[in-house]
Amino acid sequence: MSSGKKMWSAALLATAVLAVTAACGSGSGGGGQSADGKIKLRFSYWGSDARQKMTEEAIKKFEAKNPTIDVEGEFSDWASYYETLATKVAANDAPDVITIEIRGLREYADRGTLADLASKVNTADIDSKVLGTGAIDGKQFAIPTGVNAFSLMVNPGLVESSKAKLPDDTKWTWDDYVKLSSQITEGSGGKVTGTQLSWNPAYLQIYAAQKGEPFYNGNKLGMSPQTIKDWWAVMQNLIKTKGAPDAAKSSEIGATSIDQSLLGTNTGAMGMWWSNQLGAASKASGQELDLLRMPKVEGATTGGMFLQPAMFYSASSKTEHAAEAAKFIDFMINDPEAGAIILSDRGLPASSKVLAAVKDKLPDADKKTLEFIDKVKSELADPPPAPPKGSSAMEDILTRYSEEVMFGRMTPDDAVQKFITEANASIAG
Amino acid sequence: MTDVSVAVKPRAATIKPKGGGHRSTQRSRREARAAYLFLAPWFIGLLVITVGPIFASLYLSFTDYSLLEEAKWVGFDNYVTMFTEDPRFISSLKVTTIYVVVSVPMQLAFALALALVLDRGLRGLSFYRSIFYLPSLLGGSVAIAILWRKVFGADGLVNAVLAIFGIQGPGWVGDPDTALGTLILLHVWTFGAPMIIFLAGLRQIPSSYYEAAAVDGAGPLRQFKSITLPLLTPIIFFNLVLEIIKSFQSFTQAFIVSNGKGGPADSTLFYTLYLYLEGFKNYDMGYAAAMAWVLLVIIAALTGVNFLASKYWVFYGDTK
Repeated sequence: MSSGKKMWSAALLATAVLAVTAACGSGSGGGGQSADGKIKLRFSYWGSDARQKMTEEAIKKFEAKNPTIDVEGEFSDWASYYETLATKVAANDAPDVITIEIRGLREYADRGTLADLASKVNTADIDSKVLGTGAIDGKQFAIPTGVNAFSLMVNPGLVESSKAKLPDDTKWTWDDYVKLSSQITEGSGGKVTGTQLSWNPAYLQIYAAQKGEPFYNGNKLGMSPQTIKDWWAVMQNLIKTKGAPDAAKSSEIGATSIDQSLLGTNTGAMGMWWSNQLGAASKASGQELDLLRMPKVEGATTGGMFLQPAMFYSASSKTEHAAEAAKFIDFMINDPEAGAIILSDRGLPASSKVLAAVKDKLPDADKKTLEFIDKVKSELADPPPAPPKGSSAMEDILTRYSEEVMFGRMTPDDAVQKFITEANASIAG
Repeated sequence: MTDVSVAVKPRAATIKPKGGGHRSTQRSRREARAAYLFLAPWFIGLLVITVGPIFASLYLSFTDYSLLEEAKWVGFDNYVTMFTEDPRFISSLKVTTIYVVVSVPMQLAFALALALVLDRGLRGLSFYRSIFYLPSLLGGSVAIAILWRKVFGADGLVNAVLAIFGIQGPGWVGDPDTALGTLILLHVWTFGAPMIIFLAGLRQIPSSYYEAAAVDGAGPLRQFKSITLPLLTPIIFFNLVLEIIKSFQSFTQAFIVSNGKGGPADSTLFYTLYLYLEGFKNYDMGYAAAMAWVLLVIIAALTGVNFLASKYWVFYGDTK
């Protein structure tokens, strides 16, 4: 402690540092202009590193065409995307352009977070029914980036090496599916399992549609308890006949990504995913994979499959740069140059013009998906509207009760009543 | 504030005799001011980052708050819902209670046993001590939780070992009957921190007690029962309180092992995991805030009970 002066100056320095850091904290929030007079546009999205690279490239292209706008990508992984987004919205710090998917759409739109984009973005080249999924009460809150179909993926090589035959997918039933699965397990001596279970609500939605029932009816579930129980019975039969792994292993692999799925590791011959996952599954497996139509309920008049946007672009209702945000979305949706970079990363491009322009550049797996979707197009049901607020919890609720049934901890009757009660409470508004 | 005065006073006291009279009081006052100034960053941080949010969460616990809209005052609704209409809340309480009640005593017993062995004066004691402490450093980490999922998976290491003996093990993390067990095991495995504290406690016991007991013909078991255990009760008590509080707040392990869902079939739905799901996944931050306060009350009550009960079994050598 030599002199008081020295100490004072040190203390002052400490305060100064604190003041500066505090200033940093309050300065970075909100949109506005960057130092060089450019308009700063914040754009949030989720995904893999590969997607980030593509997106940054597309952003650069946009900035080259619009030198007054500086787009700043805010990127996170899928698991924490909505948490980050909700926190930013809560802090009045919402990004100007927000990527969102269909389950989150009403959560945000119904709470006044999103702006109406009608007539601000050119949507002439997007199928009107697909476009409609981004609209709520006549307001176009979100523009679809590209489409997907929930379908059955199969590894034909493994089916054949297991002494089974690929089905005629135009007329196969759920019984056929169970039989084929157990044949594969048996024929391969257990090395390859027929299929793996899925608790994706899209799967149940397709199954219910085959019975003529909608998944949602307004703010309630539209399915009968019997339909849900019949659907569980398919999975129970799969486990019973060893067409799928037992309940414990199923729940374990259900929690992993497609790379670690049975299909992805060549230890299973089938599985159900969104069609844009075919690329990832093929890459993980290293073998030739195909898409098949979903099996049908005996005597069903419709296959129940449908197209759904992989994701949407939307704009914050609080943005100070609505025009620039719309311009950026328009570029990402309609500009063939953006399309040539992004390709099918955000689903097969929703804009028919962009799709036609990039068709030949698509990776093989996506060409296959495109071919498949073209083939089944005439059989598809209309894309369903955005599910009600609270539906983001649906997959978890469905998984939970499905597992209770598979583990035999609840009877299907008991579980279906509890499932319907909890699901309805969650989406009641 | 108490922290501040404690930090300042001794310094002033030691300086006083050196200087003399008036000058040094002035100087000590100046130093006190400087101390406050240096403490300011920490103190402002405490106010802004800790105390502020604590009160904010108390307020939010009485509201319906989705994060996306303004909070709406709903009185005690969140608290009432929790205990009357939410089976998942009750089941998360059950899961957490089982976890605490089973894993804490097991972990402490394990830690004490190892501390006793190490206290024998093994060669390379510090090496073993570090090795055993390692899991405590790693146990809460994401990497270990991921490893755990692999080790206890249907095709994991445990089942591979069991297969050697011809046993077909279940998918430990995928089965609702065993998933929580794997998390309990993970917790027990992180016995290093209480072990180190036990070791320090054992070192405090004067060896003359043991010598005297040995002269009187007491065997090792009797020595343990009559000397080690009673003299160690303050340490056991300390570890018990600490570990109970810590394990009620466990989050990472369940989050990673169950992939953030608390599954299978809610069997690993820890209290804090459910709190997180309600707040960030189901857009119900008001409810999550209320849950946080209920947890605080639960932990405070348990700690209080612990302290009351300690009168009957904790033996402080110096108060006798």
